[in-house]
Amino acid sequence: MVVRQYNQELEYLEKINSYCWRIKKGFQPNMNVEGVFYVNQTLEKLMLDELRNACRPGMVGGFLPGVKQIANVAALPGIVGKSVGLPDVHSGYGFAIGNMAAFDINDPQSIVSPGGVGFDINCGVRLLRTNLFEKDVLPVKEQLAQSLFDHIPVGVGSKGIIPMNAKDLEEALEMGMDWSLREGYIWAEDKEHCEEYGRMLNADPAKVSMRAKKRGLPQLGTLGAGNHYAEIQVVDEIFDKWAACKMGIEEKGQICVMIHSGSRGFGHQVATDALVQMEKAMKRDKIETNDRQLACARINSEEGQDYLKSMAAAANFAWVNRSSMTFLSRQAFAKQFNMAPDDLDMHVIYDVSHNIAKVEEHIVDGKPKTLLVHRKGSTRAFPPHHPLIPVDYQLTGQPVLIGGTMGTCSYVLTGTQQGMLETFGSTCHGAGRALSRAKSRRNLDYTDVLNKLEQMGISIRVASPKLVMEEAPESYKNVTDVVNTCHAAGISKKCIKLRPIAVIKG
Amino acid sequence: MVKRLLSALEYPQSDSVNINDEVTFRKIVAWVELNKINKASPNVKNGLKNINSGDWPNVYAKYKNEIGLPNLESSQEQLQWLLGYAVQAETHTNRDVYLKHAVEHLKVTNVPSVVTENPLDKLDFHSKDFADGISNVAKLLNVTPHPDPIITLNAVAKLVTTRLSPQAQANPNEVIVKGTPFPFQDADLGFDLHDPVLNQAAKVLRILYIHDLRELQTRANELVVAVQNVTANPKTDTKLGKVGK
Repeated sequence: MVVRQYNQELEYLEKINSYCWRIKKGFQPNMNVEGVFYVNQTLEKLMLDELRNACRPGMVGGFLPGVKQIANVAALPGIVGKSVGLPDVHSGYGFAIGNMAAFDINDPQSIVSPGGVGFDINCGVRLLRTNLFEKDVLPVKEQLAQSLFDHIPVGVGSKGIIPMNAKDLEEALEMGMDWSLREGYIWAEDKEHCEEYGRMLNADPAKVSMRAKKRGLPQLGTLGAGNHYAEIQVVDEIFDKWAACKMGIEEKGQICVMIHSGSRGFGHQVATDALVQMEKAMKRDKIETNDRQLACARINSEEGQDYLKSMAAAANFAWVNRSSMTFLSRQAFAKQFNMAPDDLDMHVIYDVSHNIAKVEEHIVDGKPKTLLVHRKGSTRAFPPHHPLIPVDYQLTGQPVLIGGTMGTCSYVLTGTQQGMLETFGSTCHGAGRALSRAKSRRNLDYTDVLNKLEQMGISIRVASPKLVMEEAPESYKNVTDVVNTCHAAGISKKCIKLRPIAVIKG
Repeated sequence: MVKRLLSALEYPQSDSVNINDEVTFRKIVAWVELNKINKASPNVKNGLKNINSGDWPNVYAKYKNEIGLPNLESSQEQLQWLLGYAVQAETHTNRDVYLKHAVEHLKVTNVPSVVTENPLDKLDFHSKDFADGISNVAKLLNVTPHPDPIITLNAVAKLVTTRLSPQAQANPNEVIVKGTPFPFQDADLGFDLHDPVLNQAAKVLRILYIHDLRELQTRANELVVAVQNVTANPKTDTKLGKVGK
């Protein structure tokens, strides 16, 4: 690999407009297409600083900077259009988190890469609304937070309270949310308001290792650790009255529940197993990549197909997981307010996936193409009238749920036609890390973090308080910067802003 | 039963026949084939007519084969099947006659009955009478008439079945759609036809399509709920729960 000075590197980057940069071919070797990333002034600085640091002599180890990773993805075989970095982009394993890339299914060279999906397969966010208002909840906030904490097991090594045996798991892996529906954990309308209707049809539990199933079984219905959380949130601002109205959000002060979780150890094991298989496939099929972490296989190879089938099973696991937690949240609220969840109007507004690869139809250079779209730390954001979004959102565009960090706000955006054209219908997924986990642990003190939340009037229940600094707002980019960039760039549209009043964390 | 079938087929002296008598049996078979069923090949037909011939049983066996009479043990059962078959053939030939009768009967008794052919098909939809009548009904119901009276009729029918049915009249709130208005005029159509009138029309079509889609989704949800009533059994066991580190 060529070593260049920071100034030389900058020659390959071009600012197209106030929110968008182009990464020209040649920035990394063998780029098939150009790269692009969306940042505003503040995020731009973070992005370029990361690159500058990496250019300093003697900087080795750790992940490559985000810009380099976007460019390496642009060098993968079969990629079409461009490799896109969303405003919350930061370095990850192989692919940057906040990177989306699409591969032409009909091109025999095209690849699928577990690094482009991430280890927490189908990690995502689900938002439930209620007909309660802040004044109804504030007096019982502590009890409600405790009740949620009692219902939803959190933390590393937590175990769920929904009894399941191996046969149930097999069925859940195949059926996704249809399993939760059949068993009566969720409502029919929940399925309607979920990406893919909560079920990837190509899931094949037979392609999943025993080890993954063993890890997954006791973890179903648990939140997990890391950046996962369940929050009670208040509608703080409504930007698009009509779209909000379609989501059942009438005015400021309305209470919502946000659940951010994924496929737990199950997805992690599926990804790990696939990486081993793919390294072999790469050698056999002579696939060259710029980075060892970009392990991949041809889409139509056995390894590629096996990964897609097991990834789909992990996606189904994540949906069942979020559905189980939806059930438990409804129970917690029902107990606290002594009312049925129906009477509390606890409907799912939407459920988004932000670590997944999906087959989609897009227009590339004026021609319809079938693509395998990888979204890692990126949310699908389809425009109004798209056939794959629920009928209720046909006029508004798909709701996009952006979870903030602990103690900061979250957003609901809607998809736009411009996003469909520019970013294959993708947008940001959250705040995006600014400090590494280790750095946060060194720089911050957990008592300060907890005190600060308390001062803000946020109740917190956490399984391992000594790790909260990893998730402190200071460790992340400002979610408002991220969302404003998406809005200004036109790749999605602001609809609702939410602020937390209670947080449950691992 | 055999006697009733025979009388339905207007067999002479159907009341007094003795079906256990071999000659009578042969007579009936020949009569039914010649007058009602009429499906046998010419030689078989002639053979059947010759009821006194010793070859009759062979001809009859051929005949059974030709019309597909199943393997039945007694000649009584065979006769019953044959007569049933004849009644069926008879009904089919005289379908229009029975239908007319059924419609008249329907008018008198107003009892639901299965009508295999829509009597309205016989109406002249292009006559002036029909067009005027429909346009009057439409006016009465405040439906804008379409130049094609059949389309107007469709619209009128839709209004009558959804809004003016006895249930809807008793409980108007159930059918009148309530919802928050949405400024669809400002909504993004998703494409541009470069003509404001066409765009407006396309928008209306979009809205109608979304309406239909919602209806379909609601029905799908109802189906899911119906299945859930049978399968659902959600359980929790707090003893299993474990909070992690």
